[in-house]
Amino acid sequence: MVDPIFIVVAALGVGFLIGILGKLGKTFTGLLSLLTIAFMTYVSAGWLLAFYSGSQVAEVITTAGFQAPFSISLLMGYNEAFLTTIVNFMGLLGGIYLFFNFGRKGRNAYVVYIVFLMGLNVVIMSRDLFNLFVFLEITSIATAGLILIEDGNRTVGAGFKYMLATSVISSIFLLGIIFIYFFTGTLSLEDLYNNANLQNAGGAIAIFLVMVAAILEMKPFPANGWGLDVYEGSHQGFSALISTATATASFYMLYKILLIAGAAWNYPIALIGAFTFIGANLFAVKQKYARRMLSYSSIGQLGLLMMIMGLREYLGDNLNFIVVTVLLTNVLAKSGFFWLIGMVKALKLKEWAIIRRKPFMLFLMGVFIFALIGFPPFPSFFGKWEFIMSLAKVGGFSWIAVILIGSFFEAIYLFRWYGMAVKGEDIYDNLEFKTKLNKLIPVGIVTALLFIIGYFSAQYTEAGAMINFIPFIFVLVLFAVDKLPLMVKNIASIAALALHFYMIYPNLAGDNLRLIFEVIFMVGGILTLIAGFSYKGVRRGFYPVAILMYAGLTAIIEAHTTLGFFYGWELMTAGSYFLIIRGKKSMPHALSYMLFSIAGAYAILAGFSIAGIGYTDFNLDILNNIQYFPNWAYGLLLVGFLTKTASIGLHIWLPGAHGEAESDVSPMVSAILLKAGVFGVVLTLIGMTKSDFDLSTLAYILGWIGALTALVGNIGAVFQEDAKRLLAYSSIGQLGYIIFAFAIMTHLGWLTGFTYTINHFMYKAVLFLTIGAVVLRTGTHNMYEMGGLIKKMPFAFVAVLIGIIALSGVPPLSGFTGKWLFYNAVIEKGWYFQGTIVFFSGGLAFLYLFRLIHTIFLGQLKDNHRELKEISIWFLIPIYTLIAGLMVFSAKPQWVLQPLGEIIANYFPNGGLRWDGAFAYTQLGHWTGTGVMITIATVFVSILIILKMLTRKAHKLEQFDVVFSGERPERPETTHIAYNMYAGFYKAVWPLTLPYFEKFWEWATNIVHETAGFGRRVYSGNGQAYMLHIVLFIIVLFFITIGGSL
Amino acid sequence: METLELGKIGLLIGFLLVIVGFWGILQQKNIIKIIVSFTILNTGINLVMVALGYIKGRTAPIIDDSVEQLANHNVINAIVDPVPQALVLTAIVIGFGVTSLLLAYAMKLFRAKKTLEINQFNDLKW
Amino acid sequence: MTNFSNIGYTLLGLFLVLNWGMLMSATFRKIVARVAGRHGIPIYQPWIDLVKNAGTRTTLSHGVMFYLGPVFRLTGAVGMFLFMPALVGVGNDHWLNFSFQGDIVLVLYFQLFGMLGMALGAGEGGQPHSAIGIGRGLAQHAAIELPLTLGILSLAIQYQTLSLVDIANAQQGGFLNWSLFTNPIASAAILLAALGAMGHSPFNLVKAPNEIPIGPPTEYHGSYLGILMSSGAIIHVMEAALFMNLVFGGATNWIEFIIKTFLIYFYSVFVGVVFPRFRIEQSVVWFFKLPLVLGIIAILIYSF
Repeated sequence: MVDPIFIVVAALGVGFLIGILGKLGKTFTGLLSLLTIAFMTYVSAGWLLAFYSGSQVAEVITTAGFQAPFSISLLMGYNEAFLTTIVNFMGLLGGIYLFFNFGRKGRNAYVVYIVFLMGLNVVIMSRDLFNLFVFLEITSIATAGLILIEDGNRTVGAGFKYMLATSVISSIFLLGIIFIYFFTGTLSLEDLYNNANLQNAGGAIAIFLVMVAAILEMKPFPANGWGLDVYEGSHQGFSALISTATATASFYMLYKILLIAGAAWNYPIALIGAFTFIGANLFAVKQKYARRMLSYSSIGQLGLLMMIMGLREYLGDNLNFIVVTVLLTNVLAKSGFFWLIGMVKALKLKEWAIIRRKPFMLFLMGVFIFALIGFPPFPSFFGKWEFIMSLAKVGGFSWIAVILIGSFFEAIYLFRWYGMAVKGEDIYDNLEFKTKLNKLIPVGIVTALLFIIGYFSAQYTEAGAMINFIPFIFVLVLFAVDKLPLMVKNIASIAALALHFYMIYPNLAGDNLRLIFEVIFMVGGILTLIAGFSYKGVRRGFYPVAILMYAGLTAIIEAHTTLGFFYGWELMTAGSYFLIIRGKKSMPHALSYMLFSIAGAYAILAGFSIAGIGYTDFNLDILNNIQYFPNWAYGLLLVGFLTKTASIGLHIWLPGAHGEAESDVSPMVSAILLKAGVFGVVLTLIGMTKSDFDLSTLAYILGWIGALTALVGNIGAVFQEDAKRLLAYSSIGQLGYIIFAFAIMTHLGWLTGFTYTINHFMYKAVLFLTIGAVVLRTGTHNMYEMGGLIKKMPFAFVAVLIGIIALSGVPPLSGFTGKWLFYNAVIEKGWYFQGTIVFFSGGLAFLYLFRLIHTIFLGQLKDNHRELKEISIWFLIPIYTLIAGLMVFSAKPQWVLQPLGEIIANYFPNGGLRWDGAFAYTQLGHWTGTGVMITIATVFVSILIILKMLTRKAHKLEQFDVVFSGERPERPETTHIAYNMYAGFYKAVWPLTLPYFEKFWEWATNIVHETAGFGRRVYSGNGQAYMLHIVLFIIVLFFITIGGSL
Repeated sequence: METLELGKIGLLIGFLLVIVGFWGILQQKNIIKIIVSFTILNTGINLVMVALGYIKGRTAPIIDDSVEQLANHNVINAIVDPVPQALVLTAIVIGFGVTSLLLAYAMKLFRAKKTLEINQFNDLKW
Repeated sequence: MTNFSNIGYTLLGLFLVLNWGMLMSATFRKIVARVAGRHGIPIYQPWIDLVKNAGTRTTLSHGVMFYLGPVFRLTGAVGMFLFMPALVGVGNDHWLNFSFQGDIVLVLYFQLFGMLGMALGAGEGGQPHSAIGIGRGLAQHAAIELPLTLGILSLAIQYQTLSLVDIANAQQGGFLNWSLFTNPIASAAILLAALGAMGHSPFNLVKAPNEIPIGPPTEYHGSYLGILMSSGAIIHVMEAALFMNLVFGGATNWIEFIIKTFLIYFYSVFVGVVFPRFRIEQSVVWFFKLPLVLGIIAILIYSF
């Protein structure tokens, strides 16, 4: 093992060598420096490996043969080895990234850089307070020097503020050190821990001074204006290091000093962390410039780390795991991000659309954003999970709320930015960015590390180790081969889904509940993917994200643990986000989808955390026996799932997201994806049935939510002019039925719910696929711009006809199965009013369904549509497959309802259907699907034959052969009744159609933005004001911590 | 003059300088004056450091013949605490480095905007 | 319950209902004419029309859906007859038609089968008035559904069944056993909704005599019109029969059937003769007022 002192020796030695040798070549100097840093990395990594293998014990290194404080005393333990490895490795990557930037500034820049890293190493390893101060100052000076590798007024200003602030902080630190020495006579950390001489008022002040300095180094809110400026102002290659390497060192310094200060400081630290985390992320929401936004984000992450530190006593064995994952994610993703910014010379968020020119970099950006927010499979996902689970077990619900709210703010701005990058207008022709290899390599390495460490983070936890990563790896493969033609990728994707289904089928064979959803997800996935064959070319980026969604969906089904479930849930969210944002005008809708999804995911996370109280493992069965706060746990879970099913109030994202999505994406996200939310609701409700607590109020509220959702969705659909939005609103309504039905919590209610779930999957897929295919032909979503297409697309017409008959619940198709069950379930339960609202909504469905089919297929054909052809065969195949399924379900409902009844009997043994052959009986009513189908078909065919006999050969009329007020119309537009079709009805029900919820969310958004806009003005830009913040921070903290006890 | 022994005077003046330094940093608008205030703050801290290590009637911890005689070859009892003195030396050196860097920045700032008013340098804000 | 062996009775019933419907519509036209001071048509006019329409030589078509529209319509009408009992009570098991295949929910939703198909057929005709009329019809139908559903729910709770046969049977044994008297509020809601369902004035903007008739009836001619008239006749009777079964104790023999359906039908006709026509928003709002309140009260009674 190389003695860690050689880290310092090598750094200083090479530094002096470069100085002494003078005119060495720049490149040589640079390579020598990199070699030095590589050596430093090698030393610390060697120690880390030794510790990891368990063979090593911590070693104290004293210099010059004296103990501290007379000489430098260093400790190389597991922590130190880990942290110095991070610092040195990031330093190495940063050195590669900045190689030519340093070169331009001259040889000395390399020296300063090495000294900077050395300073951080010693800050981490030092066991002596004064030594800590010295190297803190060395680091500060080096930092102030390195800030100047970028030119410009802003940079100089930022550097000056930084210098001033750190000097003042160090002065306070120094003052504290003196007093500590005065009281204890030692500066060695080992002697200071639990030192009795500090247990007095003077000692408290001494501790306060060193603590406050250490806290200020972590850039706490609001005394962190200087930190923001330096992140923003310095060269981004270097900002990456300040926000990672420096932050790591500061974090550890705070930890070391906190051990002196004792447990009394835990709470203040956690509180400061919480304020910083929320404050920084909130203010970031208002930013227009990428650099500054990311600076806020960095400071937010520091706040999170402080929180973890303050709360560490509650985290038990998981502490190290949480710190490591959160820290590593921040280090890797944040540095990658700053480096990315350095390559893309776009300042404003809006200008980031240019990153699309290099898809690989867009991919990198996505990786960093998802890693920062804490999506799987990145380390912070697992870290935050353990953090929140541990907090819940000790009742730290307000801390959980802080973490989730802060993370939510973070998601707001990061995803808004990403949306602009993915879908914003790329109009900045003058901006050009080159990707140099030496800059791309470090970014690539941190990205790869994020995935690798994420994988190993999962293996750390028992629940995480159960996760099947193979689907995700397939997604990565698809990313890698994204340049291949569509045909290849599509066949591979379909084969993958089929294979996966085949492989996991044995696992699900005994579990019909999961099997139903798995069939919807996988078979539905295959069918909708078939439609993709109609696209031409490569279709970049589509397949990885589509399969990402399906990987998430199947992971939800296969999950045995809450962690596994949440993993799948987040993958699915990420995949569907990318699918949705592919639509032409989808930027705002994808954002609102993502924000609702994330908020919902956090509610689920919180629900899981409460559910986990009292359990040591994360088995999904804990939902069946939640022991503490069951109403909160189930309530939060339901709220979370309801965001995905777009229930009332949480539905405003859906119309845009589904309406603007691509033609084959709409059915994926509507017919298939929404069922994930339903599955979640079902799981929660199963838990509620098994619970010993009385949860009927919750179910009652859920029932009303479902009923009102049905009303809101359907009435919204009636007044749409856009065909896809109409279907989207219809989905809201249909999901409202489903939620309502499940909330009834009886055998019949659940049978209704499952029937609707299956039905909605089939007919909504049929409708969305057909309308999507029609839209591909006509080039417009607006129904009033279509008309008369029955002549051009008879197969599409028949598909829509069957779809709307099924959806509206008209016998003999399967929609009626649902309606009939509904009536019985509602009366049996006694939920008459809610039920009536649902039935009324069903009546409204006729309005929009007729509008859909009439204005598109009937009426007058438009002149510009005279050359249109039937919709693509690749759409017709899945459509008619689904119709076949729909027909089977309609003719033989017992084939599906009887097995369903058996599943439901596990939860509600009584009150099911009584079957007598094809006849179904409830206590109230009776019905036979098969019989009705035969009767109606017989009558229909008989009448058709009669008419055929009566009419002889019918003469075909031309389009305008109608009598229209004595005129023969020449223009289709004037005779096609489509626009504002239900004007009269609107006059009657307009109060129901006002955008109450849209207004509410707008209002909420404005509050966040205004608060952020107002709050961030505290950072006036004036360095002196920042000094004042620091002083005020110290004073306030003084009164909070020890002011009262003096 | 029991109350005004050297150590306490040093401590008092030291804190006074610290306060003056802080006041100057928060009050002065001119960057040079702010830097000067910072050095005053630094000096105050150094003074405090030395004063805390002071023990009445003893001499500097520089061990030469006179000291050895004074203490009757028991050096430890003859000198003040050497550690603060060593610390102050280091702190002065660091303070020097920091001050010079601050001044260098001040120069660059002046070149950029031809002014030394600190409230002129708020390009980065909010 | 029952099986298909009574199909002969069912067909006979259908024939009776068809003719009774034609007679009833002729009577209706006659009454309206007399109120307006005209002489009116001869009472046998519908039969003449039917034969004439069936015999027309030329047939024009706008397309397949146009062609199928009347088929849907008549299927809907016949289906409504089939899924409802013609006669109920002791000894009338052979007149129960196909009501064993489904309960009142089936009847309520099957009504829409014919409406929907007809609407689509008319839609393909490209005649703008068709679309206007259908749009209004659907809007009004949605509004009617609210009090109607509440009323029917109330009856279903009262009789603890959804079977129309059972509901009608439960009302046997004297007119005081009718829902009209045992559950007057629900009956009121249903009967007010019935006004809308029957589609006479003031709720006849759907087929507003001045504009809409030149829509479907002009495009649908000859044998199409014949089928439409037949289905119209059946539907009129069966709608009346629906309310008869729900509220007025059903019918135990054909005389009772004829009298009751006649009275229910003419209840809406007379209301129509007296009241002027509503605009669509007025009629929708009207259903949201008194009928809805009555429906809610009818439910509230059974909620506590």
